[in-house]
Amino acid sequence: MTGTATTTSPVLTVTDVTKAFRFGPPWRRQRIDVLRGASLEVGPGELVGLVGENGSGKSTLMQIIVGLLGHDGGTMTAPARLGYCPQQPLLWEKLTVAEHFELFNQAYRLDDATAASARDGLLDELGFAKYLDYRVEALSGGTRQKLNLALALVHRPELLLLDEPYAGFDWETYLRFWEMAERRREEGMGILIVSHLLAERDRLTRIYELRDGRCEVIS
Amino acid sequence: MTRTAVFAREQLRAPFTLALLVVIPALFVVSAAGALNDFASALGGSLAGDAAVGLSAGWAAAFISGALGFFQAASSRGADRRLALAGLGPARVALSRIAASVGLAFIAAAAAFVALLLRVDVAHPLHAGIAVLAFALLYLAIGVLVGSLVSAPLEGSLLVVFVFLLDAFSGPGMSGGSPPPWAVSQKAADVLIAAGTGTDTPTDEWVKVAVVTGGALVAAFLVFVASARSRA
Repeated sequence: MTGTATTTSPVLTVTDVTKAFRFGPPWRRQRIDVLRGASLEVGPGELVGLVGENGSGKSTLMQIIVGLLGHDGGTMTAPARLGYCPQQPLLWEKLTVAEHFELFNQAYRLDDATAASARDGLLDELGFAKYLDYRVEALSGGTRQKLNLALALVHRPELLLLDEPYAGFDWETYLRFWEMAERRREEGMGILIVSHLLAERDRLTRIYELRDGRCEVIS
Repeated sequence: MTRTAVFAREQLRAPFTLALLVVIPALFVVSAAGALNDFASALGGSLAGDAAVGLSAGWAAAFISGALGFFQAASSRGADRRLALAGLGPARVALSRIAASVGLAFIAAAAAFVALLLRVDVAHPLHAGIAVLAFALLYLAIGVLVGSLVSAPLEGSLLVVFVFLLDAFSGPGMSGGSPPPWAVSQKAADVLIAAGTGTDTPTDEWVKVAVVTGGALVAAFLVFVASARSRA
């Protein structure tokens, strides 16, 4: 373990977030309380893990932080410049890797020089430069995930949210991923990694376990 | 390159889809119009002859545009939402997505219109072309609206078909009596039938066509924006 929480202000604070999903017709409504007061925080330069069983609500919490899902209660503070790598790659099948970067560069308001430099750096770091002009439909699952991850990093966010980021990675890319995460952490980026399995515990500042809808620090 | 251009490029990279955009409307106009006469009679309507051919062009463009609008919105929903949340905002993504899809509607409308001109004599071809385009844009909007709300392909496409069938079977000449409120293409259909016979369409009727078509596109835009906004 690489130390305890920093004394500087957290980049992410989640306090008592609740979320229930409702299913079925109105006369037979079923309710599943996924989050029952989840709290966690991530400081700058921290690499924080969030683990839990399948269906514990890890991805739900991540999607709430990003804004894909609403929540029923609780509060959150997060920086405006955050990067999100979803569990399932959210990409356009018929667009090329280069076109994906082009669209996200516009979203992140990066100037051309910064965008090109960041893109080339990520292509090199993750080892998929040769696929720049390939459409997503022609990429393997692992390469899609590399693009998925790169799009979350291209604008150097203050907070990086990773939901099962290394699914489909080969061993070499898996190791590159952790080196990359370590470099970003040293640069002051706060990183939250969601996984149901964290083998690299020694690299993490802190690990939360999501159980019964609440987060507990387990190491 | 603009976002609209990138999204348009995405759509043009499906050659089979583009081929269907042209073939289906053309085939429908050439082959189905005759059967519409009989069907309208069975329902108590008065649709016949060249009016049936004219309407078939509108409905063909409408059906294809509606289906494509739905699948465009539904299949790219996740990535579009991610782009909106990354900082582009739901309004810009919606504008780009809909603007790019309008190109598909143009292609479908053009194919149906050309087939119409080859099939029958149209007294006012410009009016007919605008009316067929109105059909296509109206249903593009309906498809995008449904696709923004319903991601499941089967349910969403069936919903678009349902709206289309309600509209088509309630339209002018298909059944007796005045068209109900859900006959959304009624005004465009009136213009299309009038164009075939050389009857001039009054300005206020054109305004109604523009209002219905424009209103549908605005509604699709607003629903897309609402579905893609941040929930934080």
